[in-house]
This record gives sequence, C-alpha cells and structure tokens, in this order.
Amino acid sequence: MQTAIQLIVTSLQIGAVYILFSLGLTLIFGVMRIVNFAHGHLFTISALMVAYSVPWLAGNGFPVLLAYLTGAAIGIAVALVIGFLIYVFGFRYFQRDMVGSFILSIGLVLLLDGVLLKLFGGAVRPVPEVLSGTVNILGATVTTQRLALCFAAVVITGMLYLALTRTRLGKALRAVSIDHEAAMLQGVPYNRMAMIGFMIAAGLAAVAGALIAPVSIVSPAIGADYLIKGFIAVIVGGLGSVPGAILGGLFVAAIETFGGFYFDPTAATIAIFVLVIVVLLVRPKGLLDNG
Amino acid sequence: MTFSGKLKTLALGVAVGVLGAASTAGAADIIKLGLSVPLSGSGAIWGKGSVFMCERAAKEVNEAGGVTVDGTAYTFQCIGYDNKYTAAEGTRVAQTLLNREGVKFIGGSLGTAPAQALQSLTERQGVLMFTTAWGASIKGPKFPLTFTQMNTPFEILPLLIPYVKQAHPEAKTLVMLNPNDASGQDTEAVANKVWKDTGIEILSSDFYERGTTEFQPIAARILSLNPDIVDLGAMPPADAGAVFRELASLGWDGIKVVEVGTGVDGLKATGGDAVEGVYMGAAVSFEGGEVSDHQHEVNEEARAAIGESLNTIQIGFYDAVYALKAAMEAAGSIEPREVAKALPDVTFRTFYGDEIGFYGMDNYGSRQQMKLPVIVTQVKDGKLVEAARVTPTGN
Repeated sequence: MQTAIQLIVTSLQIGAVYILFSLGLTLIFGVMRIVNFAHGHLFTISALMVAYSVPWLAGNGFPVLLAYLTGAAIGIAVALVIGFLIYVFGFRYFQRDMVGSFILSIGLVLLLDGVLLKLFGGAVRPVPEVLSGTVNILGATVTTQRLALCFAAVVITGMLYLALTRTRLGKALRAVSIDHEAAMLQGVPYNRMAMIGFMIAAGLAAVAGALIAPVSIVSPAIGADYLIKGFIAVIVGGLGSVPGAILGGLFVAAIETFGGFYFDPTAATIAIFVLVIVVLLVRPKGLLDNG
Repeated sequence: MTFSGKLKTLALGVAVGVLGAASTAGAADIIKLGLSVPLSGSGAIWGKGSVFMCERAAKEVNEAGGVTVDGTAYTFQCIGYDNKYTAAEGTRVAQTLLNREGVKFIGGSLGTAPAQALQSLTERQGVLMFTTAWGASIKGPKFPLTFTQMNTPFEILPLLIPYVKQAHPEAKTLVMLNPNDASGQDTEAVANKVWKDTGIEILSSDFYERGTTEFQPIAARILSLNPDIVDLGAMPPADAGAVFRELASLGWDGIKVVEVGTGVDGLKATGGDAVEGVYMGAAVSFEGGEVSDHQHEVNEEARAAIGESLNTIQIGFYDAVYALKAAMEAAGSIEPREVAKALPDVTFRTFYGDEIGFYGMDNYGSRQQMKLPVIVTQVKDGKLVEAARVTPTGN
C-alpha cells in the first residue's frame, strides 16, 4: 500500500510539470492552429536564468528563497520577452499555417540551440536548495521543494482553467479556438487573441522552467525531454483541449512512474510511445477530442 | 572574344592557378586532425572539452616546431564536427571529415555509436582513427587503424570494483543502471561479470534513455530493492547526481559508484550533498600537491573555456596528438597505414606526466589501447580525491 501511495504521489509531482508544459502547447495549437517546437526553449531559457541568477544573488547576500523568487521573476521576464519577439517577428506571419509554422519552429529550435549553448555553455548549472527537508504523506516521502512545485502547478492550472471558463478573455480565446471566423464575426479581435494566447503559453513554459530548475538537471538541453513528453500529453488528451492536456500530462507521468517501477525505465519509455499509437488508432482526436 | 578579352581570361586563369598552387603548398604542411564529438545536447560539455584539448596539444606541438618528417615540419590543425552522440549524425560527420575535409587522421571520436559509424569508413579508406569508444568489438587485429585514447571498462573495472569491495566488505547486494546505448551496454556487460566475480549479488540491472530529466521513478524502484551498492555505470555525472539526490530524499544511504564517472562538477550540480562518498573510475583530481603546474594551467584554461574541470575523455584528445606526433616521426611518414604500424611501438608524454606506450594483447589481441594509469577517485567533503592509481603492466 505504501508503495502504491509513493508511486501515486510521484506521478502527481511529475505530472504537475508536464501539465504546465502541455497546457502551453495546447493553448497555442487551439488559438493559432500551429505546433510550436520552440516551446521547450522558452522553458529552458527560464530555467537557465534561474540557475545562473540564484547562485549569484545568494552569493551577494540575498536569502536563498528571495534569491530564487527574484531569479524566477528574471527568468520568466526574459522568456516572455523572447516569446514576444518570436511571435512578433515569426509566428504572427504563420498563423493557421501548419507547414510554414513547422518550418519556422524547427529553424527557431536550431537557432536557439546554438545561441543557448554559446551563451551558457554545455555544463549543468547547480541551483541551491530553496526549501529543505521532506514531508511524509500517508507513508510516502516527498521533498518540500517538490511539494511546493506541485502546489504551485495546481494553483496555476486552476487559475488558468477558471480564467478560460469564467472571464471575457478566456471565453474569447475559447471562441477563437472553436471557430475563429465565427468569433471574428462576433467582434472578437483574432490577432490580439492569437498574441495573448501565445504569450500566456510562453508564460506557462517560463513558469514551469522556473519551478523545475531547483529539482532538475539544468542545461541548455533540458527542454527536449519535456517537449517530447508535453507533445505526447497533448496528443493523448486531444490537441487544443485544456482538460485533455491535464489528463494527458497525468497519464504520461503515471506510465513513466508505474512502468519504471515495475519493469524498467526503458520499458516505461516504450510504453509511453505505445500508448500514443493506441490512442491515435482508437481515438485519432485524442481522449477528449480536439479543443 | 577580342584579343584583350583573351588576355584578361588568360591572366585570370594564371592568377587562379597560382593562388590554387599557393594554397595547396600551404595546406600540404598542415596535418588535419578530424574530431567527431557531441557539440550540442547533453554531451556538449564533453565534446567542447575534447576540441579544447586537441587544440591545446596541437598548439603546444606547433609552437615547439611541429612534427618533423623527412626534413619537413608539419603542423597540426584540429577540425571538430558535432556528432550529436548518435549513429546517424556520426555517419554524416564521418562522410564530411573523410570526403569533404580530406582528413587522414582522426584525433578522437566520442560516443560508441558515432565512433562505429566513423570506423566503418576509416578502416576502408585507410584513415587512422583514435576513439574513446570502449567496446571490445571496436578494436583488435581486424581493425588495424583504430586506437583507443582512454581507459575503457576492461581496464578500469578490474581495479575499481575490487577496490570498492575491499573498502566495504560488508556489502552484499547491488543494483546497476546504465544508459540504453552502446556505451551503456558495453559497460554493463563488463561490470556484471566483475561484480559477480567479486561475490556481489546483482539484484537488478536496468537501462534508461539518455536525456531523461525525471529520476524519481527510477529512485523509487532502486529503493524498493534496497541494495547495499548502487552502481550507475556509464551514466553522465549530472544524471548520476540526480539519481543519488532522489535516492537520498527517499532515505537510501549506501555505497555509491559511477564506474566511468568523469568528474565531480556535474555530479555536485545535480546531486549536492547526496554525492558524498561516490567512487569513480574515469575522473581526474586536480586537488593536491602532486598535480603539476602544466596540469593546473591547462585545467584552469579549460574551466574558463567550458565551465568544468577536465576529465579522462577530454585528456584522451590531448594525448592522441602527442601519440600521433611520436608515431609519425618514428615512421618517417605521414601515411596513415605507416603511422598505424609504428604507433604500437612508440612512447609519448601523456598529459598525466608519464612516458607511455600501447598495450592490449590480452584483452583485444593487439596493442591498440593507450597504457594510461587507472585512477580511482572518491568524493570527500565535496571534493574529488584520488584514492588509488595503478599504472598497468602487461603487453
């Protein structure tokens, strides 16, 4: 029983970050009908900024928690600025253009890969422990840092869900996602909605990067693993569907955790890809259909 | 065409010819050393350090007068391409180095899969290749042009594993975890046998995919087996650190080994205090009075350039340059086959400070392995400390 609880708690912790990451992917697809492979790089930029700024701030007299919060704010701000530039000078011209946006995002991936490697080097950056200690939940052990990460992810996901369902902006975003021409006929400014949707997605990636930095391996390559898992999550849940992204993220995390525990990590990775194949065969639009 | 037009064309042709001849004459005195290394992705730090070390050794050799063969002084030039640690990119790099750059000597290749892709061309096209790849199948009499520039599990593990067992005689059980690629599988095969020969029971031996960033499920599995020893084989230091951190958070505190662990920086970056006590077999300590000024100086330059201390992989790229210089001068030729024939019999000054040669008759049936010292290191008080060093004997 204790093992099962430990595995469930682990799944929820891992799933929390996958959800934040895949929510951004699904939002961009829903609003702009494009697939953004450079999404992982915004996540990476934020994590790298945290990894660079926190040790520097802590070394200059900042308490670690304050240094982390400042570093996270810097990381999110930098990622948002880069996300804005990517949108204004790139994706703005390729809205609802799958092929064009695909080529653009692959080009951006190569460009950002090179720039990040040049600027930050290939070495893994240490981030000091922000919250020390562990917490016992029904016999399962969780580090305080992971628990805080999980809590933050749940709060952000809840806020996003409420914003999308209860506010005028959220309703406009959903309207554009369902039928952008009909939405425009109703007076919804599509271009503005597209930019807002893209920037919210960029913000989600940046927040996820800042949250994961203290508990993961921060290097310019960190985004690649999350990008693959994030895509799998949105394909399983349904491209463009917010509840689908949440379900998909939890699904991927659960398979990774239970498969890795009862078989081995490689078997778990294979199982995730088998899952995608099965879902695409049985429900081509994902478990909860496209948003 | 008018007479003046013909004259201009002729003048242009002569100019191009002269320039071409001049550039060919200049190029003839340069020996290109091709490098197939990861320069992007999680292995980029190893690749960048390898290029740095090749260039550093080439600079030293060139400034000391270069390689003198038959009265001509040649200089070395290192040319590195990104193999992304994959066979597919390794194949592309191999074709670029051999067919476009016209390289006749590979100063180093990193990663078993890309090295095998490169070897399939080098042996056929008569190109001499150095590699850090450690599978026994990559060298031997069938591959006379291939040489290994760092210690492999065949050299490291027979010393490291008994050392760990002797230091912890109470240890009885073990869990192994390796990357799911040629490097990991080669390491696991050797380690599995040596651990069993030492009397340790192997509870589980798993593989994981490189690039993984979440190690909690793996840690939970290891904890459920409750081993005395966790051996992370050929795992990159940063990944190994993350596993040890997750294990520590779950309450496990046993004997930690990263058999071909190459350094403490990446390990500490992700593992923090949880990496205390880790044993490694492919790392170099730059702490203590026995480190020479030259080693210190090069390491500091490397730290400034790549952000981490040097490791044995990168040092192999430095040593290959000196080995090639010695063999070319001994052979009196820069033809790769002649140099390869001379290489097993020459000695050269290694970065570690000793004058060494090649061996490997027992393991590989030919002398294609650099006779490098095997160094066992351990993390103590957050620093990498040399625990034992053995210079191998044998032929």
